[in-house]
Order: sequence, then structure tokens, then C-alpha cells
Amino acid sequence: MPFNQALRLSSVLLAAAAFIGLALGTSLPEWLLLLTGISLIVTLLRALGVDRLRHVLDRIRLSTTAWNILTVMAFAGFWIDLVWISADLLAAGVHFLMILMVIKLFNLDQRRDYLHLYAISLMAILGSAASTTDLWYLPVFLAYLLMGVWTLLLYQLTKESDAGDRPPSLSKESATIPRGRQQITPELFWLANGLAVGALCLTVLIFFTIPRVSAGFGQKGSGEGLRTSGFSETVDLGMIGPIKRDPGIVMRVELPDRTGLQMDRFYLRGMAYDRYDGKSWTTRLSHRRALAESPAGTFTVRQVSSRSPRPLGQIIRQTILLEALDTAVLFAAPYPESISGQFLAIQSDPTGAIYLPFPASARLEYTVHSRPTPVAPADLQFQPAVYTEVFAQHFLQLPESSERVRALAQEITRSKASAYEKAQAIESYLAKNFRYSLDIPPGMQTRPLEEFLFERKTGYCEHYATAMVVLLRNVGVPARLVTGFLATEWNEYGNYYLVRQRDAHAWVEVHLPNSGWVTMDPTPAISETVGDSQWFAVSRVIDTLRLRWNRFFVQYNAADQLAVVRGLKEGTTVVRDRAWSSLSSLLAPAGDFAGKLLSRVVEGNVRLTVGFLSFIALGLGLVIWLVQRKPWNRWRSSGTSQCEHAVIAQIYRNVLQQIARYGIVKAEHTTPREFLLVVGNQWAAAGESVSTITELYCRGRFGKAILTQQEIDLAYHSLRQLTLLDPPSR
Amino acid sequence: MKSTQLVSSIQENIARVIKGKSRVIELTVVSLLARGHLLLEDVPGVGKTTLAHSLARSLDCSFKRIQFTSDLLPSDIVGVSIFNRQKQGFEFVPGPIFANIVLADEINRTTPKTQSSLLEAMSEAQISVDNQTYPLHQPFMVIATQNPAEYHGTFPLPESQLDRFLMRVQIGYPSPEEERKVLERPQSLHPAEALQPVATAQDVLALQQQVDDVLMEDSLMEYLLAIILATRQSDLLSLGVSTRGALALSRAAKALAFVRGRAYCLPDDIKELAPAVLSHRIMVSRSQGLRHRSFEQSEQIIQDLVESVPVPV
Repeated sequence: MPFNQALRLSSVLLAAAAFIGLALGTSLPEWLLLLTGISLIVTLLRALGVDRLRHVLDRIRLSTTAWNILTVMAFAGFWIDLVWISADLLAAGVHFLMILMVIKLFNLDQRRDYLHLYAISLMAILGSAASTTDLWYLPVFLAYLLMGVWTLLLYQLTKESDAGDRPPSLSKESATIPRGRQQITPELFWLANGLAVGALCLTVLIFFTIPRVSAGFGQKGSGEGLRTSGFSETVDLGMIGPIKRDPGIVMRVELPDRTGLQMDRFYLRGMAYDRYDGKSWTTRLSHRRALAESPAGTFTVRQVSSRSPRPLGQIIRQTILLEALDTAVLFAAPYPESISGQFLAIQSDPTGAIYLPFPASARLEYTVHSRPTPVAPADLQFQPAVYTEVFAQHFLQLPESSERVRALAQEITRSKASAYEKAQAIESYLAKNFRYSLDIPPGMQTRPLEEFLFERKTGYCEHYATAMVVLLRNVGVPARLVTGFLATEWNEYGNYYLVRQRDAHAWVEVHLPNSGWVTMDPTPAISETVGDSQWFAVSRVIDTLRLRWNRFFVQYNAADQLAVVRGLKEGTTVVRDRAWSSLSSLLAPAGDFAGKLLSRVVEGNVRLTVGFLSFIALGLGLVIWLVQRKPWNRWRSSGTSQCEHAVIAQIYRNVLQQIARYGIVKAEHTTPREFLLVVGNQWAAAGESVSTITELYCRGRFGKAILTQQEIDLAYHSLRQLTLLDPPSR
Repeated sequence: MKSTQLVSSIQENIARVIKGKSRVIELTVVSLLARGHLLLEDVPGVGKTTLAHSLARSLDCSFKRIQFTSDLLPSDIVGVSIFNRQKQGFEFVPGPIFANIVLADEINRTTPKTQSSLLEAMSEAQISVDNQTYPLHQPFMVIATQNPAEYHGTFPLPESQLDRFLMRVQIGYPSPEEERKVLERPQSLHPAEALQPVATAQDVLALQQQVDDVLMEDSLMEYLLAIILATRQSDLLSLGVSTRGALALSRAAKALAFVRGRAYCLPDDIKELAPAVLSHRIMVSRSQGLRHRSFEQSEQIIQDLVESVPVPV
């Protein structure tokens, strides 16, 4: 492919990469997306040399003045957009940028047009970088980087050849690069790609060493967190229902100590409520206190001494990546003991809920140590319990409930003595006799609880939990309602729970005299078949990659840099291990997935087997085709010997390097043939190979002969032979 | 017949007479094909005349030998106009220069006036007598000899005139075995007379044409010019090589490449020919403490200079 065509192509691709970045990162209006997309496709086809299109384009070509007028109009539009329409500098700027890009795409005539296009695409990719921290940015950026290297390389090459071949005053018609030698050779191809990889490596190095501020500016949805409900001081009954259909991701919970372990139901506790007025729940224990920080970054939620009379559960360590929410509540498995993360302060209320001082505007990550409360054996028998007045006021409070509810409570718990037995009885009563459904007509019912208990008998978690709390309180057992999330979606590739909006849940905590607060849940387990199909597995793999991306790149901060530097100090083995483990943890999900797929195949799913095998066959076929046809050979020039010269000269230089390793160095004034004699004298075994290559080199280099592929192959073969020889004897 | 074979058959033919001097023969043929003239600097009796004679015989060309003496006049070389009674006018009688191969024996024995008339003819390939211009035969090659051992009664050629010779070559004594072969030859006949021509004058002209087409790659041109520049900048020399010298080296290198069966020059060609082509064009600086020019010394200086110039890779 000649340079000028390649330059046009790579320039358009560069613009396309930048455009994709913007289109994914910011919300562009559809008409702009469509306009830019079509313009890109048209110019891309034209750059690829679709002749018919070129004629059509030339015919409908607008005059320069018309384009200038359009540009001015776009600029005016930018101000209008900035002031009235989007009223946001970033958005208006991006729109303006897109229109400029379209105008430039159709005006790639002179060299400065190319420069303008590069500037526009650079701004576009910067704009998209500022507006996202998502995983998809990585491939887009890599594509941009690759195309950038290519484009600048080609730009320079064509510029140099232009400068050499014509006086600068000629018209733009002669600005096209002269035909002939300027073709993309394999060396150039690999050199350019190598440069891109080198640049990337450098970038990675800089990424890991230079301090930076994390989180993108103007991130999508910044300032307003994900809208969720059920975590304010008042929760109306029926509030959780609507969000139970939202698949938006709220958080990811990793259990680093329990890899592979999958619990059926993993509760993430948010807030607890003590007061029910018949329609909504409120917490009267909302006065928060700041938690003590020790050591730095770790806040102790509650002190549990091992001498405590209460039984102690197993500690659960969770690492939680919480999306930005519109609530300040931090979620954790019951009951958190300590929390650590990059927090300035953490607050807690008497019910054990933990809060940030204000809602976070960005995604945050924290680690919590929790310890569930098991039921003490003593509580299995009846224990007389005396509660203080304050305690009773909070957790035995009842709305003006009807006698029917009281009668029902006593009916269910008639034969039960202990508080725990009563709770169990109510729990199983609710689970058995009621039907789970999200199809509850919205709107305020006058007595939602009675309706649920006696009329409709269908409802969802909030109704179940409210009913249980009220029933328990009616029989003198202190209880409270808890809201949070119930994680069920286990990602086996990344060993974490994926928690979505629809996992929002309400459940019950019962106070037992010896054990304290114990989690109970009357809501029947919903047998949601969040498909075990392959597509869901794929989506889980992708989500795992997204998590890693966030963990190792977006959230990578100064502390991690310090850790790396410290690791370097401590010794390379540590670094290697760490690098290996991060790498393998990045790659493990993919490997896992492949393994699972294979095992499925072995299990005998015929359709899958056929698909899998044909996929492999297709891949193999493609590889064979590539090797056989060598499509990259098309990039080679025909009728020019430039690249062969370069090839044979490079081979000869390699030979010189090879031989120089044994101390036989070609002096500057030695001609190739004289050097051949020197080699023959000092290293007879190499004589033949060196002779072959020298002959070809002289012919190609000084004779400007076009070497055939066989001759090039012969030269390569001789070079390989040379490397296999024994070193010369001294 | 292919040109390469033709060239090698010419060399082989001469080699039948001149034993063990393949390099000198090759350089002679190179001079011929580069349209140049050859200066043989050697003691008498080592085969200078025989070399010139056998070359002429091999090419089926005319051959003239001029013995230069102190009383030789320019007209003895170029010819003279004589009054013709029948025609009632002057008639030009061509001198011995009208031949394809001219052997100018002991060129330093004659006066500068006569020398310059020959050298003029050499560079112009034509002579002017009585306002009439006569073109010389083509191909035209002068092989001049000079005896370095004797200096009495000689008029050494100035550098400006030496410049007109493409190369200066020493023949040297043959090895004892080669000399023995010479002795064993039948003495009745001059050995060159027995040679059969292998090429015609037309063939030679065609070969000369082909030499012009030999490729000298740009970097080699640079290399050659670097060598020329080195002679001009060297402290050892008071006079460097002229532009004509550069041209001569380029032509000679092309001819050597051609003789060796290549259509392109190698750095080796330039490097190998540099002493022969350049050494007689330079003047060794007086600081070198030499009273007279020495063949070996100037060749050595050129050799050293060439070794200092990097070869393009």
C-alpha cells in the first residue's frame, strides 16, 4: 500500500478510534452519532480505494467557502449549545468537536488538514478519557495508540519525501506523494507496531511509577450516585418494590479468605429500623458517633472480646467495591467489627449501621471484618427476659394494630416457649403460607400489613419482614427490621458476589437474651433461575475483567505505588510473585471459563460440542489461510527493490553482529569481500554461509538487483546456519 | 559471444605470451575498456612491448611503435603535410599515431614539446595539422613506457601530463618458473606474431559502450569521492587528485567490474584500483624528504589513504 493511501487510512482510523471513545464515554445525541458514524464509514471506504465512491464524492464536493461557512456555523452552534441546549462546557465542546471532525474528514487535502484532524482526535480521546473509568476504554485507547503511531510515522515519511521531491511553492495537486518507492514494507509494518508496543510499555511504566490523581474528571453520572431506596431514616412500606426489577450493579463483594466457597444467601446489612407506625418504618436511633481509627485507615465498629459470654462466629473478611450511591450507608455482612479503606471518617449508629459522613461521589472500595451471631445453645430453651424500658420502647413498639394481628401472633406461637422458637415458628409460618410476588399494586393502602396478612397473602420481602417484626413484638419478642442486599449472584471466575439493585432486601433481626441480635428471614428463597447458560457465564467473565480493571488500574493509587516500590526494594522475587499473581488473577477467569467449557463439552452437550469444534476449526483455518496466502505480502511493493535492499542489508548487518561476537570484527575500511577472506581465515566453518550472504548482499546492495524470495530465504537460511555453528577455535 | 567471455578470451590470449602476469593483463584490458591509456613504468626487457603487441594482435587492431628519442619531433608522431606535385597541393601523410594501439616507448626521453603533442592527441582523440583536424582511429589506446632506473638525459613528465594516463602499472620480473617457460619457447618467431585475433575493433567499441552502463551505486560514488578528498586533505601530499583523476577512477572501477563479469561496481573495485589509478597523479610533499618520485612510495601513500576511508555498508 502506498504511503499516501496508508496515511489517509490510518488518519481516518485514528479519528474513528477517538470517535468510538467519545461515543461510548459520553452521551452524544443520536443525530450526531449517526452523522459522524456515516462520515467515518464513507471516508474509510474512500481511503480504502473504493473508486466509485470517490467519483461520487468528487461530484458532490462542496467548495472551500461552503466548508468554511459550515465551520463558522458550527462554532456559532457551539455557543448556542453551551448557553442554552446542553449548558455544559464538556458536552458542548464534544458536540462541536464531532462536527469539526466531520468537516475535516471530508476535507483531507492538504497536510495541515491532517494535522487538524489529529488535533481533533487527540482532544476527542482526551475527552473520552476524562469521562470514563470503564474497561472498554482500554481497547479503544490501544487502538488509538496504535493508529497514532502509524499515522505520525506515515505523516513524517510522506512529509520528508514531499520535501525532497518538490519545491514548496507547488500547487496542492502535486502534494500527493510521488508514486514509486514509498510502500509499506514488512520492516516498516513491524517497526510501527513495535513502536506502538514500546510506547504502551513506557506508558504502563509511567502509570505504575508516576503519582497521579485517580478517578476521571466529569465521570459519567458523577455527583449523583445510583438512585436506590430503603436506606434513609424513613422507609415506606412498598418502597423497595420498584427497584427490585432494576439490574443495575450496586457493588461487588469479594471474599478473599473463602475462595470457592459459595454461600446460598449472603446478607449485606444496611440500616435497621425500630419504629413502625402502620405505614412506614423509621429509625429513632439515628444519632451517629464517629468511629475510632486504629491503626490508620481501620475503624473499629464494635469491640468484641473473646471473654464475652456470647458465642462468637467465624470472622468473614469482605472486600467491597461499592458504586456511587445516593446514600451514605456502607454495607457489610452482619455484624461488622472493623472497616478499613480510604476514609477520612466513619460513623456508626446504635443499631450497628455504618455510614460515611456524606454520600460518596465515586466508586469506593473498602474491607470489612464481620462476625455473624450464632444462636447460643441457652436460647434454645425458655429464658426469662427482662428488658429495660428504653429497650422495650424501641424494639417492642407497636402501631395501633388490630386484635386480629395479636390473635394471629398468639395462634402461631401457642406451643412455643422460647423467644427463638417463637421466631422460628413465625418465620416458617410466613414462608409457608404466603406467596412471593412483586406485582403489588402501588399506592398507599390504609393498612398494608393487615392487607398482606389476611387478604392478599402475597407480597415481597418488606411485607414479610414487617409482618414478622410486628408478630414478634406482639408476643413480646424484641425485633427490628433491617434493609440491605441479599447477594445471590456468585461469580465463580472472580470469586465474588455481584450485587444488583434488584437484590435489595429487607429482613428481620430478633433479639435473644443470650445471643443478642440474630438474623432471621421470613421471605422464601426465590428460585430465580439467573440462567446458568453459557451467555451468563460469559457475562460473568466480562464482569470479572471489569472488576480487575477497576482494581488494578482505576483504583491504583499512591499507596499501591508505594507498595510496588517497597516490593522492588525487598527483592525481585517478591515483585515477580506479585506480578505473577496479579497476572494470573487477571487471566485466571478466562482460563477457568475455557476449562468449564471443555468440561461441558466432555459431558456430552452435542450442540455445544459441534459449535466448539467448528469454532476451533474456523480459527485453525484462518491461521492456515494467513500463513499460506501471506496477505501481508500485499503490503510489499511490487516493482521496487527498496525493501529487498533493506532486507539483505539488514541480514548482512546481522551477520556482522553474529561474527563480531567471536571477536571477528569488520573494520570500517574493509570491503565485504575482504571481510569474507578474513572470516575464511579465522573461522573456516562460517565461510560458506558468509560467502552466500556476502554475494547476495553485494548484488542487492551495490548492484541494486531485485532479489527473489528464494534468495532472501536462502540468505535467512544461511544466517540461521551461522548461528548454529560452533564458535571458531582460537 | 557474450561480452564476459570475449573479455576473458582476450585476457587468455595475451596470457599465452606474457607469462604469469595476469594482473597486469587484466589492468591493460581495463584501461582499454575504460577508453584510457596506460603508462608502464619498468626496467627494459620485461615485456612492455610484447604486452602492447599481443594486445593489438588479439584485437585484430593496427599497432604502431614509436621509439622516443631526444631528437624526435612532433611531426614524427602525428604526421606531416608534404607537397604533392601531381595534385599541386599539400598532402597529409599520417604519422604512427594513426593506429589503434600505439606503443610510446621511453616517453621520457624526448623533449617536452614532442611529449605534449602526443599527450594532446591522447586526450582529444584527434590531431590538428595545418588547420585540418584528423580524427584518430577508434579504439585508440596509447601504451607508454618509462624507465625508472635511468634519469640521465630524460625529461620527466610533469604531473599535469601524467594525469592523462588512466593508470600507471609496473610489470615486474616474472617468477623463475614463468621465466623458464619464456626461455623454452621457440625463438624463431616473435611470440605475439603467433597469436590469433579473438576480437575485432568493433567488438572493443561495443565493450566500451557496455562499460559505460555498469552501475555505480550512490554510496559507492560517495566512497570514491571520499578517497579523492582524502588525497587532497592529506599532509603527506602537496598535490591531491584532480577531478579528472576521480573520473578516471570511476571509469576504471566500472571497467574492472565489467571485466570481472559484473554489471555493478563493488567497493573492492575502487579500493583495488585506487593505487594504480591515483598514484601517478599526486605529488608527495617535500617534507617527506624525497629527492625524486618513487613509484612504490606514492602507491603506498594511496594505499594507506584508502585504508582510512570507511567502506559503505
